[in-house]
Amino acid sequence: MSFNVEYNGVIKKKDLQKVFLNAITMEHTWNYERMMNDGYLYSMLPALKKIYPNQDDFIEACKRHLEFFNTTPHVITLPLGVSVAMEEQRASNMDSFDTTSISNVKTAIMGPLAGIGDSFFWGTLRILATGVGTSLALQGNILGPILFLLIFNVPAYILRYILVFVGYKFGTSFIIEAEQSGVMNIINKAASILGLSVAGAMTAEMVYFSIPLTFGTGDSATSIQSIIDGIVPGLLPLLLTGLVYWLLKKKVKPLTIMFIMMIVCVIGAYFGVLA
Amino acid sequence: MELQTILIFLVTFIACSEFLLGTSLIQRPIVLGTLIGLIFGQLETGIIMGATLELAFIGAVSVGAYIPPDMISGTILGTALAIQAGTGPETALALGLPISTVMLALNSILSSPTMLIFTHMMDKDIENGDIKKFKWHYFFGGYASFLPRLIIIPCAFYFGSNAVVSLLSQIPEWLQTGITISGGVIPALGFAMLAQMIMDKKIAPFFFIGFFAIKYLELSTTAVAIFALAYVVIMFFKEKEKNENATIVSQEGVEFDEF
Repeated sequence: MSFNVEYNGVIKKKDLQKVFLNAITMEHTWNYERMMNDGYLYSMLPALKKIYPNQDDFIEACKRHLEFFNTTPHVITLPLGVSVAMEEQRASNMDSFDTTSISNVKTAIMGPLAGIGDSFFWGTLRILATGVGTSLALQGNILGPILFLLIFNVPAYILRYILVFVGYKFGTSFIIEAEQSGVMNIINKAASILGLSVAGAMTAEMVYFSIPLTFGTGDSATSIQSIIDGIVPGLLPLLLTGLVYWLLKKKVKPLTIMFIMMIVCVIGAYFGVLA
Repeated sequence: MELQTILIFLVTFIACSEFLLGTSLIQRPIVLGTLIGLIFGQLETGIIMGATLELAFIGAVSVGAYIPPDMISGTILGTALAIQAGTGPETALALGLPISTVMLALNSILSSPTMLIFTHMMDKDIENGDIKKFKWHYFFGGYASFLPRLIIIPCAFYFGSNAVVSLLSQIPEWLQTGITISGGVIPALGFAMLAQMIMDKKIAPFFFIGFFAIKYLELSTTAVAIFALAYVVIMFFKEKEKNENATIVSQEGVEFDEF
């Protein structure tokens, strides 16, 4: 990497790489009480062990990282890098360093980071991967699932690797600066536009049903569907998606909507008004 | 049958390793459907069924307080049973949805408390300064919370498949047609959930641009993604420049006041 991180203390590049490797498992032990707490400590272990050769100090530091933590797992290495840097400072300054600042900084980062991380990884990158992946997979093409995994994971793993160094070098200043300069907002907006465009495209490509009813007889018979398509192609799927969007806003549960959909489809098929 | 059950256990195990492997989406239907297809020697069918389920579950991500239906059991059992019955992807969907809902309820009773027990064991390990034990509980605890699924999914396949397959052969035609139609309708729910997650009045038109780029211009989703990406990159640098200029102007303004 071209960060030119300076390693002045006991922590070296190799240690940060170990933190990155352990952080891959972050959500393995996700729980309702403190969410990512065990994963956070597990990731910190290689660094903490090196920073605190004294067993008592080491255990004390371990306990510090067993508290509540939650953010997007793919960007977890940013706060981890910051924590490693702060623990290193604390070890070289055992008497006057206020350890609550380590926890405070973690708490301060996780909110904004989850905000941008969730919308980018779940709302944009995953949709991009699903859009490309399913359109191939629906034709039975093996490239579908392969591209799906690659499009999501290659950027995710690269970012996860880079961020541990960014966190270690810049500490908290990085995220504060990004937020104050407005870059964070622009990234968020860009990610949303990308995700929404692909969601629109997928709605058009993958939501389909028609009304096979006709009126008139013989050659002059006109189907209702051809009239609808004449006005705006894909009007029915678009209206349906709008209706579901509205129902969700009215706090109707997704599962309820799903079962209503199935029932309506079966009834529609029985009377031959849907196809 | 025995061999297939063991292989289904293996696929379930892979699915349960998603979080150990970096929350890497290997438990999504599009991946699991493919693996199940591979087990039954019908790769192409599996991929298509996986993609169909993927679209139905597209809104299923645990963001905030929403806990999605259990895609693992829904996909593995839905796909495996549909392939065995020799039916289409719609059957996989019709079987997968109810299974995933029932499993979700079971998970909240069995899986979540199991994980909590292990979390407290790990607290104690650290208290005792036993890092080795902590690591062991860390690795095993993650799988322990998946234990109900690791047991139930292969068993349900082994004991239930004959019954389900014979049941499927007796379904009347209108019901089958209805399920087929719902395969095209249910993704609307996923996209609506997705739109809700990212929608903001100012950028709402982009949803319609994406939609009609397909309907009128007959582009593919991949093409729309590429154009949208290019647009977003242009926008990023433009807005960043604008932002920087704005900061410079405001800074100059401050200096001017000082004079």
